[in-house]
Amino acid sequence: MAADYVPPFIAAQLNHLLSHFPLTLKVEQMWSGSKHYPGVVDRFTLVIPYCLDFIRWDVIYDTESPTAAPDVVFGLEDEDFHPFHMEFAEGQLDLKPSKNCLGDWNNKDPTRLLALIQYLRDQYVSYQRKRVGKVDDDRLKFEISTVVSREGIEMQISSGSDKPEEVRFSVPLMDMNINKLVPGCPWRQNQKIFLQVIYPVGRKYMSAPSAPRLKLVSTPELKALFSIEDVKLPSWLDGMCLAEYLPQLEESLEKQVLEAVSLIDVRRHFIEALACQFGRPVEADPVFCRKATFLAASGVFTFLVHLIIPTQFPKQQPALLLQSSQHFNAYMAPIKSRIMTDYPWSPRWEASMMAESIFEFLADEALNFKRQLNEGQLQ
Amino acid sequence: MDELPLHKIAISGPTLASIIQRFSTSPGAVDGLLFGHVTYVTPSTLSDDSASESSTLVATITGFLCSGTINSFYDSTGAVQLHSLCRLLSDPVLNHHPSLIGWFSCRRKTHLRPSMREFAVTASLSSLTQFAFPVRNAPGCTNFNPCLFLLLASPLADQSIHTHEYRAYQFRRVTESFDPKSMDIVNLGPAFRGHYGSFSPNAPFPSLACNFRNSAMNEDQDERILNQMKKVSKDQKELDTCADGFDIGRLNRLVGSDATNYTSGLEDLYEKMLVKIENLARQVESSSAKVLEQENHNRRLRYKILKSAVPE
Repeated sequence: MAADYVPPFIAAQLNHLLSHFPLTLKVEQMWSGSKHYPGVVDRFTLVIPYCLDFIRWDVIYDTESPTAAPDVVFGLEDEDFHPFHMEFAEGQLDLKPSKNCLGDWNNKDPTRLLALIQYLRDQYVSYQRKRVGKVDDDRLKFEISTVVSREGIEMQISSGSDKPEEVRFSVPLMDMNINKLVPGCPWRQNQKIFLQVIYPVGRKYMSAPSAPRLKLVSTPELKALFSIEDVKLPSWLDGMCLAEYLPQLEESLEKQVLEAVSLIDVRRHFIEALACQFGRPVEADPVFCRKATFLAASGVFTFLVHLIIPTQFPKQQPALLLQSSQHFNAYMAPIKSRIMTDYPWSPRWEASMMAESIFEFLADEALNFKRQLNEGQLQ
Repeated sequence: MDELPLHKIAISGPTLASIIQRFSTSPGAVDGLLFGHVTYVTPSTLSDDSASESSTLVATITGFLCSGTINSFYDSTGAVQLHSLCRLLSDPVLNHHPSLIGWFSCRRKTHLRPSMREFAVTASLSSLTQFAFPVRNAPGCTNFNPCLFLLLASPLADQSIHTHEYRAYQFRRVTESFDPKSMDIVNLGPAFRGHYGSFSPNAPFPSLACNFRNSAMNEDQDERILNQMKKVSKDQKELDTCADGFDIGRLNRLVGSDATNYTSGLEDLYEKMLVKIENLARQVESSSAKVLEQENHNRRLRYKILKSAVPE
């Protein structure tokens, strides 16, 4: 068996886990621990998102004991994390959860690994919360007491030998379902915006503690609709705490997200207006209306016009890119122009006016593009 | 009740080597039980340093029982199953072993740190007070629970030199954590020169007191020999069963004029012994063949399970 081969019972559980876990998991590495069948893969490293970072857990099956439940080796920094022991410690006599996901392990049930990892991650959240709760810092204790009830909040304590100890929070913002706001939403995952808050651990009482480090993070696919880099965070006033800060941030974010959703329609109207000038688009992004491609001709010279429409449209003008359908480079790829944004533009114009302006600009630019192609200036 | 902190864990080279051998020849991961004793040791080397400890607690691993598989005495949540553990402990091979001191786990190509289940098993095992045993040479009456954990692993990446890594831990019930302990391999390295000072033999071996009564040099020791007579005769009986009637006293007739008569007699004895050994060797060989056959059969069955399709 030269090629790596994942036994069906592991493959079924792993595939089920990867496709059904609420967060995006990755398998970083897969290898074999078998002496006789070195090609039979039975252990792998799972990369699990936690607190806007990742944790790595090794899941260890044993091909020699296929009916046995897998074991897990946690990260180096989590040597005190003992998920099945925490229940005893907390005096929870009801051991049902562990019984369900490990107690009567059935290797033929593809859902088992998912249940186990879900359970372990839940335990990990409360483990980290407990660790952070033990940090001897008055301000931190206060901040935790005011935000701990927020659903989905995650905390992490990070300390290296060379850097100062700090506590990180990941606070999910806004109780709105962004997926539902977008008609024909293509996202499998629920899109969310988080506020990352990093507190240095001071261990001393200070009358006016400095502002924590704040950063907005969103699920990556949200970029198509709304760029969190454009959000200006409200300033953190002296003596402020997180519970005071969050409502105003959420309020302003909510407005911006709703505006971003309404901008989809503005872009759609713009593309429709372009169709009056250029004819029907060859291709257009139907959900977010961020891209449109038209076929245009100047005399016998035919070319494609790509429009890349920013989320800030109409404040920001679309970027134009021309692509010849008659000229190819050495790799047989069609030759493209530079990206152009230097044409007359006003956000106050009507959509038809915008389309007209672009059409007029391209009438001149097409000749330019053609000349450059013929002179071999573009590659 | 918390166990006293160990100073270190000692293991004899052959014991460690056998564990590693069992690990490297097993098809998959294996676990097993560790046996030994815990002793208060007063260091024999005197030091000017007043801060040095007056006595230290040393756990010595003297034997092990490898189950040849995983989950041999615990379930998948890591809780010890008493009936499985007692079944393992009832193995007649363990007659001479002192006390259950802990357990070990061997797994290929994994990180050398305790896993989720290994923690649970150790916590569960060390809470079984019925397996507690007294510490030797202890000032008071001190008991010690089976709280040792020995982890063996091989590195994740394939290497040209095959290495086995191991790490030993004591489980502390108060902090509920693993306390890594240094592991000394007895008789290996210069650190063990001082070890002979506190040597105590583990195996009972009969003292070979040869009775040269007619020697003049022994007259002053007669009294002591008398006192030991009972013990010696008992040991002698043990030896005689092996020697088939050739007691040690008769050996001195090998020297001198009678020697030729006795050579044939001795050759007889050796021949009988050889036959016994050959018989034993044959038995071992045939039982090994049976074990191998069974193992191959088990492997084929396991492989069948591996290949069996899983309903989606």
